[in-house]
Amino acid sequence: MRFRASIENVHTFHRIIQTVEKLQKKCIIKFTETEIHIICNTDESGVQIWSQIRVVSLFTDYRIQSNANNEISLALATDALSQALRSAAAHSGAEEIVMKLAKKRDVAVLSFEIFGASRMGRRVKVAHDVRIEVLKPADVARLKEPLCPEPDIHILLPPLLKLRTIVDRLRPLADVIAVRANGSGKLQISAATESAKMDVVWEGCANPRMAQEGLSQGVPDGEQNDIDKRDPKQMFSVLVHVRSFLKFLNAHVVSTTTIACICQNHCMILYVYIGDVADAGGVLTFYIPAVLDD
Amino acid sequence: MSLSYKSATAYVFADIFDEYIYTPPPAPASPPSTPSSSLTPPPVPASQSDTPPTVLEVPLGTLIECLNIFGTAGAGASGAKHKKWRKAGDDDGDAHDDEGHGGRIENFFGPAGGEKRTGMRLSYAGEGHPLTLLVLEDAAGPTATCEITTYDAEPHLELPFDAEQTALKIILKSSWLRDALSELDPSSDKLTFIGNPPTAHGTNTTAARTAARATAKPMLRIQAVGSFGSTEMDYPNDREVLETFECTRTVSFSYRYSNITRAIRALQHSTKTSLRIDEEGLLSLQFLMPSPKPRGGTSDAFIEFRCLPLDEDI
Repeated sequence: MRFRASIENVHTFHRIIQTVEKLQKKCIIKFTETEIHIICNTDESGVQIWSQIRVVSLFTDYRIQSNANNEISLALATDALSQALRSAAAHSGAEEIVMKLAKKRDVAVLSFEIFGASRMGRRVKVAHDVRIEVLKPADVARLKEPLCPEPDIHILLPPLLKLRTIVDRLRPLADVIAVRANGSGKLQISAATESAKMDVVWEGCANPRMAQEGLSQGVPDGEQNDIDKRDPKQMFSVLVHVRSFLKFLNAHVVSTTTIACICQNHCMILYVYIGDVADAGGVLTFYIPAVLDD
Repeated sequence: MSLSYKSATAYVFADIFDEYIYTPPPAPASPPSTPSSSLTPPPVPASQSDTPPTVLEVPLGTLIECLNIFGTAGAGASGAKHKKWRKAGDDDGDAHDDEGHGGRIENFFGPAGGEKRTGMRLSYAGEGHPLTLLVLEDAAGPTATCEITTYDAEPHLELPFDAEQTALKIILKSSWLRDALSELDPSSDKLTFIGNPPTAHGTNTTAARTAARATAKPMLRIQAVGSFGSTEMDYPNDREVLETFECTRTVSFSYRYSNITRAIRALQHSTKTSLRIDEEGLLSLQFLMPSPKPRGGTSDAFIEFRCLPLDEDI
């Protein structure tokens, strides 16, 4: 089992891990020959992240070798990884940042070596070792994405930072918020409690036609036609915990474009694109389970 | 129990709103105190000033969160940077205002240098209806509609201030008081205002004045006592500092420091402060708020705090 890569785009990688760090203490990273998958699926809130990022958008000089189809899966502490990357990102003048799999004192680690120069011009090497647990291929095979019905609606979200400001204000008022959207570009976030009822409405959001590539769950052609026949004014809604939604909104640090899908009374799926959509380096897929209204 | 020893009231005048429509609630059909036969014509509706005002109670925290839902209406820089909030699609507006008072507030405090500002329309259709806010940041952005549950107003503590009984009256620039209060140790327990009648001094030379100042009792002294020590601050007898000073005899009253700190937020945002104490020691602090736009002749909004003194015997 061998693995070595130079981190080319350390800021993006750091931001992705920052987002993940806010959700879960541990995460699973699966390196394949072309993609890196980051998976969080054990948070007690039910929020999950399934992401796939193209290797070329983060790394150069990427070499991987293993007996399991040249894939390596490992579990690690997100805060340790985040710290190592923060240190790497802080070295603005770093010449090279190497990430490799290593064994130190019989412990498997992901080792980060940052090569740079001190202010005096001397060469400096900073190394961080993040302890990891290599997962068996059989265990990895058991990891399954949550099953969702066909989403009722797809809608492009407003900038996540803006959205977060608003949802932050709702948090003291309500535990559960309703997210609604329709096929004519209307998005609504509502909270209702004894003391107040609040509705925030965006008009003119785009309803993307879902292209298959890059998404974990595509729409078969036949059903796309069904969707087109529906009343574009019909609102589809889902209730989610404010805290869960805010966990997703932490992704504002990496997001450029975000598409939300609502599976009425079931869940919300959010695709956070890294980089430009047309040339997306990857996508973080958030799954937020619905709160069922009794 | 200290909670019940103070009250705060904000006076906002109608012209702070771009539009303000108030329809008094219909008078009760037949007031029980005035028996009238069915033959006599119904009494002429009283003029607006005679009708009881509309009173409602809402959770303050909720109202504040709603107003600042876009995060751009917070207390920021005051003054110069107010910009007219333009809004498209304002046509359907009047429908909302038929029943209650309505209006659209010019946003007053945008973030310094920020372009966007929150604007809102507030309406209340009467008893049993929610207080409805329509909050917008700009014409293209999202709209937020908030309906805040209203409650029948609980009777509030009335602390009537009898102007006839004023023992001390001071008007000063808010910054003078703000700087003084911000110097105090936050762990102080007790704050004392001491006022002395001004000493007459006919001399105009600076040296003579300084000498008089050194010997005379200070016109206004603020004294704070806490577990870690005490602080005393004296204000000079100077029109630059104390614009108005009326005091006939030496006054000294103490207040719980924690009560006074409640007023500091309002003090910080105000331009002028009127501090009055009556013979009984009731403190009235009025803070003049900066107005968002130039106004003709009418008085500015202000916030008033009243606070009962600590009983010195205990």
